[in-house]
Amino acid sequence: MQRPATSQLPCKAGIGLRATHYSEVLETLPELGWVEVHNENFFGGGASLHTLLKVREHYAVSLHGVGMGLASTTPLCETHLSALQQLCETVRPAVVSEHLCWNSAGGFVVNDLLPFPYTPEALAHVVRRVEHVQEKLGRQLLVENLSSYLSFSHSEMTEGEFLAELSRRTGCGILLDVENLYVNTRNLGVDAMAFINAIPVDAVQEYHLAGYSVRDGCLVDTHDHPVYPEVWELYEYVLQQIGPRPTLIEWDADIPALSVLMAEAAKAQQRMEATHG
Amino acid sequence: MGDLNSDLVLLASAIARGEELSSQIDSQYSEYTRDTAIEVYRNNYRGNLQDALAGVYPVVKQLVGDTFFRFMARKYIELYPSASANLYHYGGELAVFLNEFTPARELAYLPDVATLEWACHVAYFVADQPSLDMNKLAQISPEHYASLIVSTHPAYRIVRSRYPVNAIWYAHQTGEEENFHFELENNPSIALVGRIDNVVKVTDLSESEACWLENIQAGNTLGVATAVTLELHPHFDLQSTLLKLFESGVFVDVILKELS
Repeated sequence: MQRPATSQLPCKAGIGLRATHYSEVLETLPELGWVEVHNENFFGGGASLHTLLKVREHYAVSLHGVGMGLASTTPLCETHLSALQQLCETVRPAVVSEHLCWNSAGGFVVNDLLPFPYTPEALAHVVRRVEHVQEKLGRQLLVENLSSYLSFSHSEMTEGEFLAELSRRTGCGILLDVENLYVNTRNLGVDAMAFINAIPVDAVQEYHLAGYSVRDGCLVDTHDHPVYPEVWELYEYVLQQIGPRPTLIEWDADIPALSVLMAEAAKAQQRMEATHG
Repeated sequence: MGDLNSDLVLLASAIARGEELSSQIDSQYSEYTRDTAIEVYRNNYRGNLQDALAGVYPVVKQLVGDTFFRFMARKYIELYPSASANLYHYGGELAVFLNEFTPARELAYLPDVATLEWACHVAYFVADQPSLDMNKLAQISPEHYASLIVSTHPAYRIVRSRYPVNAIWYAHQTGEEENFHFELENNPSIALVGRIDNVVKVTDLSESEACWLENIQAGNTLGVATAVTLELHPHFDLQSTLLKLFESGVFVDVILKELS
């Protein structure tokens, strides 16, 4: 059943803002629904934070983390969390999000978004960490579904079921990355409709869209292409099933001109309006 | 922390150290093999760290070329695996690595260029601190200047080299491929690296200016720093040094040392 959006972001299409476009955005102040930036680029303040604060004067900002490691088995990095807390106080973002993944275990740090087995043990572990993050930040965290290239044979639930239970137990929101979901349907045979049915509609507060690459038959979430027709199709299905939500165009490598990003965002906006008037 | 931890450690070692995948990972995928999947993760791991290095060391990259830089980065990543979830912390040992990296031995100045670029990277991300308010200095009577302790901005670093790395760094800021010639023998340089108005600045320092600033950074009073510097560099000009360093933004505060 569809539900209206409850996010503090405007229910419009926005773009991922990267350093390439900082000065153009600040000089021309184009019409953007909102912008999303990666938290870690602003930790410690410095020159990049000054730029973000100028952007914040004109646009709603979503803070999107790539380094927290919600499912990592090393202790949650308190320095990282404090840096995020401070960034939230300074920037006052509309939403704060992270990925359902891990990046460190034992003595290893892998600067990537890695999958893990969806077991009761993992669920209890991620629940504790999400609760801790939400307490520390004093606000709700949105957790994003992951694109994966491999899966664990001893998973006892699907990622959708895991996210649904995580949201139920912690009150966290869900950031539905439509492209990640599509990548998983192709790579891992995930059932997209079952995934969408599994997650609580009210918890979904944001969508992501991006383009992937293909390497030896594996779809890789590279964020370096326009959104593909199959992903637009899944997005339209998501709009019908869940409802309109603030939608982001992500582009992180081979970043094109700002006008290209804005044209992609306009396509998302049109689909939102076509589905919901 | 039982099974989950061992699952993650096994996957991490397969990615970062090239070890075998555990049997807990599904072996069948419809369009590709398990080996393809782990190669994607290994490439991501190396690629992310290599991009981080390229972001911090654009001048080193220009000096050695893209192909050599990739080769060098791969060796560096093997020896210095990531230790922080924040990629901005990655790459601080490149100068140390280059000192031992024989394929780059002919570019003797390369480690010092790396030191300078890392100092710029640190300066970019360090937290703000307001510069010295000249009014505060104006309120202090000149006869007390010798007893002043001047605190300096933690982002500012002095980088010394027996090579003209400042000139090399300046020449490569446009990013354009050009042929430069630098006299490498008997051509040392000293750089003061810091950030002012949100732009990272590299300022040339003379031996006497660097000597004086190092004394100040060590916590010596203005009087002691000046006396020590004059002994070593009789032509040291305090006034012009003060003006130059004040403009660089390195001074943060002044306090009068308690007379005991």
